[in-house]
Amino acid sequence: MKQKNTLPVVFLSPAIAILAVLALVPTVYAVIISFQNRELSRPDGSFIGLANYISLFSDRRFINAIGVSLTWEAVTVGMTLIIAIGLGILLFECASPRMRSAVCFLFLIPVILPRVSAAFVWKFAFHPLYGIITYPYKAITGQPLDLLSNPLTALGTVALVDVWQWGLFFAVIVLKLLETLPPQPFEAARLDHAKTWEIYAYVAIPMLKAPLISLAFVKMIESLRAFDLIYVMTRGGPGIATETLDMYAFSQGFIESGRISYASSMAVLMMVATSLAFTFLWKRVKS
Amino acid sequence: MTNGKTLVSSIAFACLLAGSVSSIAIAAECSGTIKVLAQPRDGLTLLEEQKPEFEKLSGGASFEIDYLNENDRRAKSKADASTIGKYNVYYIDEANVALFASSGWVAPLMDYYPADYDYADFDPGRQKVATYDGKVWFAPLTGGGDLMVYRKDLLEAAGITPPKTLDEYIAAVKALNQPDQGIYGTALRGQRGSGANVWRWMPFFKGFGGNWFDGKTPVFDSEAAVKATETYLELFKYSAPGSQTGGWDEVVGAFTSGQVAMIIESTPLVGMAIDPKSSQVAGKVGYMPPPTPLTGGGYGHGLAIGTKANADETSKACAGLFIAWATSKENENRRLEANQFSELNRTSVMTSPKFAELYGPDLGQALAETGKVTAVNFWQSPQWPDLGDRWGIILEELIAGTRTDIKDGLDELNGFAKDLVARSQ
Repeated sequence: MKQKNTLPVVFLSPAIAILAVLALVPTVYAVIISFQNRELSRPDGSFIGLANYISLFSDRRFINAIGVSLTWEAVTVGMTLIIAIGLGILLFECASPRMRSAVCFLFLIPVILPRVSAAFVWKFAFHPLYGIITYPYKAITGQPLDLLSNPLTALGTVALVDVWQWGLFFAVIVLKLLETLPPQPFEAARLDHAKTWEIYAYVAIPMLKAPLISLAFVKMIESLRAFDLIYVMTRGGPGIATETLDMYAFSQGFIESGRISYASSMAVLMMVATSLAFTFLWKRVKS
Repeated sequence: MTNGKTLVSSIAFACLLAGSVSSIAIAAECSGTIKVLAQPRDGLTLLEEQKPEFEKLSGGASFEIDYLNENDRRAKSKADASTIGKYNVYYIDEANVALFASSGWVAPLMDYYPADYDYADFDPGRQKVATYDGKVWFAPLTGGGDLMVYRKDLLEAAGITPPKTLDEYIAAVKALNQPDQGIYGTALRGQRGSGANVWRWMPFFKGFGGNWFDGKTPVFDSEAAVKATETYLELFKYSAPGSQTGGWDEVVGAFTSGQVAMIIESTPLVGMAIDPKSSQVAGKVGYMPPPTPLTGGGYGHGLAIGTKANADETSKACAGLFIAWATSKENENRRLEANQFSELNRTSVMTSPKFAELYGPDLGQALAETGKVTAVNFWQSPQWPDLGDRWGIILEELIAGTRTDIKDGLDELNGFAKDLVARSQ
């Protein structure tokens, strides 16, 4: 009996130990240096209490980055799910099994592409002079279309690439989920003269609520890690129009000032905010 | 542990003078791999073909170069040098030499640079930017000032003579701008960064009489800065699409693909613009010093000895030998043979008959003329990258139109500069 109780501990200990080293040590270190005034160019540093945290709230770039990050989360998660559900249903309704297999294979390609490669490919595609996406506009109007240099369109353009990668992948998942649903509720709805859109809105999607929420959480976490995509495509520009919190923290830590303590305070705030937000959302969803 | 990432050296000193760590060259036998962090350069690609020569010279050491573009190279080298110090040799530049030197991330080059390789042969301007606090820190791979490069065919067709003053230049840019024909008046750098948009803005700032600091007091928040920014923004109306958030690559690409009439850029542009392999406008290009009162942006990039990865004198000597060989007359002559104009730094090479044969007397004359107006435009301080990059963000906002008040932007930079100075004390 005693052996049975200790077995989970035996199996869990190595994984927890590795996690502790890989996750806990840097996290604790980041928290400690966030209370200091350390910079890359100065090996020494002293404790300054909450000064970094207080400075953040009078830093216009930090305030802007919060807004950009929230917009980025809302747009990418929302659009990815809308595209995924729309395409998933379209394939389920219209495509033959053979066609579905071929389309699923094609839809998986974008997410397999390394993010940086995808970002470079799309950056060139959106180039105002040579880009294949902007060419038709230029050919028709005679004017170049510079989407990545326009503060109003830059974030949306980068988000489009993110949705292209993940929306198509999620569409495959939604299609596979629809295929696992029992046919009886659909037949019952049709007997009640429900329209196609009503069948999906009131029968299929409610039946898929739990996995769709899980997909939303996966995408929310993934969207928080969009640094590479934004960095390659706009570097946070034009101006600070696409500067997310992680971009700004990296910029302060390594590109511009080397203020690693200041950057760490941002990272700690992000960690606390995301932990709280996800816990709250998770509990709301479960209840 | 050190086997993989640093050179492991067994040394035979040719002249081992006890107690004297002198600047005399140390002939070393090296082994292992010298790790270099650099940004892409044709000269370095060519250098990699000569690895066997260095192995023979060094007694067995090889080298490995990791490439990152300019902004990424600056960020990565700063992060690496201040933490783990994985690289034996760093590619540094005029903008961060003060930071690397004052932080102790690189070693004084001349302590480990073999005298036979003749450092004094480098262009004096490049030697100047490689020097900080009275010591030399890197051996140049590229450098120079600015040239105004223009399309002779477009200017002739429009009946415009190459401008000699800024007013003439602005008028010519406006006249030559024909977006419906796919031709833009100019191309400027809009991308944030002390080495990007700020670099191209500074000739206007200094040309209008601006200064960065008076001692430790910031004085850049001046009429000169406002006028420089207004002029820069005015010219941006005629700048090629894509340059609003673009840097050197986008600007040069727009010119060499035939979409830009006139441009003021760093001297390596000429090499690319007149080379048919990289330019669609080769044969149609003229060049002159920048119009008055603009100053040329004096710059230099080169290789420096990292201190962390080269913990002992032996390793530093091997890194010094690598740098000396990489920037030697022999290798620079190979670059000349390969028509790599922007990779030439030695006076003996740039005044050679081969150089005159390849590039003609006009380019030599233009380089000599522009040398007279070339200046150090940036603030020579370890804090320069911080200040320059912060101005780069504000300038990019002004270019993008998300900010319109120039004075307000300069005031914000002024506050940042005061905080920067206070933090450094």
